[in-house]
Amino acid sequence: MSTNLSLATSINTAPQAAGTIAASSRHRLSPEEHRRLARQRRLRRELTGWAFLVPMFVFFVVFLLAPVILVFWWSTQEGSLTTGTEFVGLDNFRRLPRQIDAPIAIRNTLRFTLMSIPVTLIIALGVAMLLARVGRGGSVYRFLVYFPALVPGVVAGLIWIFLTSVDFGLFNTALRSVGVDPVVWLGPKSALQVLAALDVWRSVGFWAIFFLAAIIGLPRELYQAAELDGANGWQRFHRLTLPLLRRVILFAVVVATIFGLQVFDTALILTEGGPGTATLTVVYRIWTYIFGSTDKVGYGAAMSVALLVAILILTVIQLRLLRGQRGED
Amino acid sequence: MSVSLPHPDGAVDAFAIELLGVTKRYGDFVALQGIDLDIAPGEFVVLLGPSGCGKSTLLKIIAGLEDASEGEVYINGQLANYLRPKERDVAMVFQNYALYPHMTVETNIGFPLAMRRHTKAAVAERVREVAALVGLTDHLRKYPDQLSGGQRQRVALGRAIIREPVAFLMDEPLSNLDALLRVQMRSELLKLHKRVGRTTIYVTHDQIEAMTMADRIVVLRDGVMQQVGTPREVYSRPANTFTAIFVGSPPMNLIPGRLLTADGGQRFQGPISVDLAALGPMAGVGEEITLGVRPENVELSGSGDAATIPGRVELIESVGADTYLSIAVAEGTTVMVRVSADTSVQEGDCLHLRFPPQRLLLFDPAGNRVTLPGEPA
Amino acid sequence: MERVLTHLALILAAVICAAPFFYVIAASLKDQGSLFHYPPVWVQIPPYTGNYERLLFDSGFPRWMLNTLFVASTVTGLKLVLDSMAGYALAKLEFTGKRVIFVLMLTLLMVPFAALLIPLWSIAHNLHITNTYLALILPPLANPLGVFLMRQFILGLPKDLENAARLEGVSEFGIYWRIILPLVKPGLVVLAVIIFTDQFMSFIWPLVATTRDDLLVLTVGVAGLRAKGGVNFGLWSAAAVMSLVPIAVFFFALQRQFLARSMAGALKQ
Repeated sequence: MSTNLSLATSINTAPQAAGTIAASSRHRLSPEEHRRLARQRRLRRELTGWAFLVPMFVFFVVFLLAPVILVFWWSTQEGSLTTGTEFVGLDNFRRLPRQIDAPIAIRNTLRFTLMSIPVTLIIALGVAMLLARVGRGGSVYRFLVYFPALVPGVVAGLIWIFLTSVDFGLFNTALRSVGVDPVVWLGPKSALQVLAALDVWRSVGFWAIFFLAAIIGLPRELYQAAELDGANGWQRFHRLTLPLLRRVILFAVVVATIFGLQVFDTALILTEGGPGTATLTVVYRIWTYIFGSTDKVGYGAAMSVALLVAILILTVIQLRLLRGQRGED
Repeated sequence: MSVSLPHPDGAVDAFAIELLGVTKRYGDFVALQGIDLDIAPGEFVVLLGPSGCGKSTLLKIIAGLEDASEGEVYINGQLANYLRPKERDVAMVFQNYALYPHMTVETNIGFPLAMRRHTKAAVAERVREVAALVGLTDHLRKYPDQLSGGQRQRVALGRAIIREPVAFLMDEPLSNLDALLRVQMRSELLKLHKRVGRTTIYVTHDQIEAMTMADRIVVLRDGVMQQVGTPREVYSRPANTFTAIFVGSPPMNLIPGRLLTADGGQRFQGPISVDLAALGPMAGVGEEITLGVRPENVELSGSGDAATIPGRVELIESVGADTYLSIAVAEGTTVMVRVSADTSVQEGDCLHLRFPPQRLLLFDPAGNRVTLPGEPA
Repeated sequence: MERVLTHLALILAAVICAAPFFYVIAASLKDQGSLFHYPPVWVQIPPYTGNYERLLFDSGFPRWMLNTLFVASTVTGLKLVLDSMAGYALAKLEFTGKRVIFVLMLTLLMVPFAALLIPLWSIAHNLHITNTYLALILPPLANPLGVFLMRQFILGLPKDLENAARLEGVSEFGIYWRIILPLVKPGLVVLAVIIFTDQFMSFIWPLVATTRDDLLVLTVGVAGLRAKGGVNFGLWSAAAVMSLVPIAVFFFALQRQFLARSMAGALKQ
């Protein structure tokens, strides 16, 4: 080939078999020398790793970690965001139950979550099973069912104000057309339920697709074996699908709960927290503490802490569940 | 310490690669223990051993992709421990080829030169040469997922040789190929080595590859070197029982017993009895030893006499050109013997075996081979 | 028979989900007369365009839409780079504190803006970025979801690919840019879609962070229609329809890819 191989031609003969080192002029290095030389290499590696991580991490620290830490500090303050505050220790937490609407907000949020999540997930699971049955041809169904999930909460709220309008909304028009009396949907006794229904309408599609992906991932042979053994549809679902999807369902429950606890935009638009305080939620209350009663920032922070802690607990539960399950798989 | 190594055409040290006491630990697990090795320029050295013995780790340490916990690596006379992989001037063929899936064959092969900022024209020229050398001229525009296993392997080879480094490091390059292809590629690799002539360190668990390709074999087990020698040496004078069994297929017969005195000399006494007088006087009388003899070295005798050992044929295995007989010589002891394929022996036959003394090997209780009197050390 | 039932059930579900939209589309083309007419007018002929005219010419809607598209695209672009770099570091590089940072990010993954409104606002205020685009763009960059997604995809790449490149002296950044990124393109697409959609729908932080009219994003502006203008179903319907146009088009075009990939990718964890 090229002249670069001129060396090669002179080293073609196999060298003498020599397993041991004949008078090597190479020397061993002391551990200190090794440590000294290794330091540079180690440093370079550390720097590289950090260089890639840091850009994102900076934002993480400033806009996520710092606020998490600061919210605890804020919860010990009394005053307003703009005019300064003073320290009051845990007073905010102690006085919280007596603060206007705080307990109501918490109760509403919990009731909302308990109403909407089981309904959402059960329907979603059912829809997912149906979609799995239909397979490829279901792309139109998938699109239509998923679409509400893409709607910003604000827009969904507007749509539902219209739908629930007593005289001119779709719901009552439909009811009237079958001879049923119109309902006041957003009345004080039913507003929260309607809010939950809105959430179900929005979320079913998302979770249905989520469960669908999980179902598609299940091994088909198990179902074929079950059919051969004579199991009918319900039995297959009950004894195969549910246990296999246990991990996925638990994940969905935790994540949906975390999202459910943060309900705000739909409550704001649909009913502005009302009528009265029927749909006042935790985040709604926090928001009003910022821009409403401007000297109660500490209470807002205290409620934020409560929400934060609840979510962190849920996160830990979920991580523990996932890790535990993985060990079993 | 970030100076590049001198080009092979310049002044060359006696050894291309030297390893001094290389040790590698992962926490408590010792992957490599005190590896000392010298490799001469142009040598084809095979690191042979079972899975997990550390041979791939050693290769990665030489390449700079892993760090040694202890010990020094010298490449072309220069301390390489703290040089970056690029600065060590070695090329590597990975076990799974590590071809860039999103680049064409041409770009893959030319990658090393492109990274060293050779001109596009120079790179294209060299790629053409190398492609011709490895037989891929018609496939330059294809992507790796359009190639067969053998072709992918050749791309990996091409990428390694395009640069003309100090040494080639090959990590089980043939293990992903089917048997026929493997035999073909083996001879092609050898031919390539003869043409290009660079130092090569080749890792494998296949002792046939080692035997056919190596100038020297380094047998590794659990991170410890068992033996370094030519294929001939490793085969006929294995350093211990592990090497004796690992190299050579079917494996050497090993029979445990004792060394005893008898009139006129010593004898081996175990499930069978073999006269060792012809070997000369040995030390360690009364101690346990293991007798070793390869299947092709056991002779069949037509008639029985004092020097032969009787046995009954239990199993006949034919592998085409040869036939291997499993012969029960005692309760629980079987000796494998190689005979030619046109033998008329049948199962259940009684045969007489002769163990020629000069073909016998003895191993001490620790498994190390005992040097026989009259044998060079 | 079972097939028919399945389809019927799915049709029912699809109708329940989609019917409100058709109702709203129809409403957006009605004038006040038709809207408040009894018995109800299903579709007004000829359609009334006044709602849309009012929306597009007489309200801040175009500006809101522009703001949202700008912010969403910028955040998406930035996050693709930041998250893939951080994901690469967590997946393939070694450095002190890696474990700690990983756990930290994992723990705070689910923490929402809602709980951090107060301190976030205070930080933004002290950085003097409230009522600027920066306030809308910077805080969302903190979400670690993308980092985990990228890490998961990058972990799947064989280590020898980088080793081969390192042997040829490719710089660490070169490995990231030339080898890793091209090979996780599907992951980048999934991430881009998730982030863009999320930013499009984001409400509570923009609500708090920007109060100037020209900085309002879509969700906040539309909410303002509710707060300020009194009941105006026609206008609201038009706003709803216009808000959904970009997403509907985008999504329907990518539908098959998006659904399959985003869910599969998420579930791999």
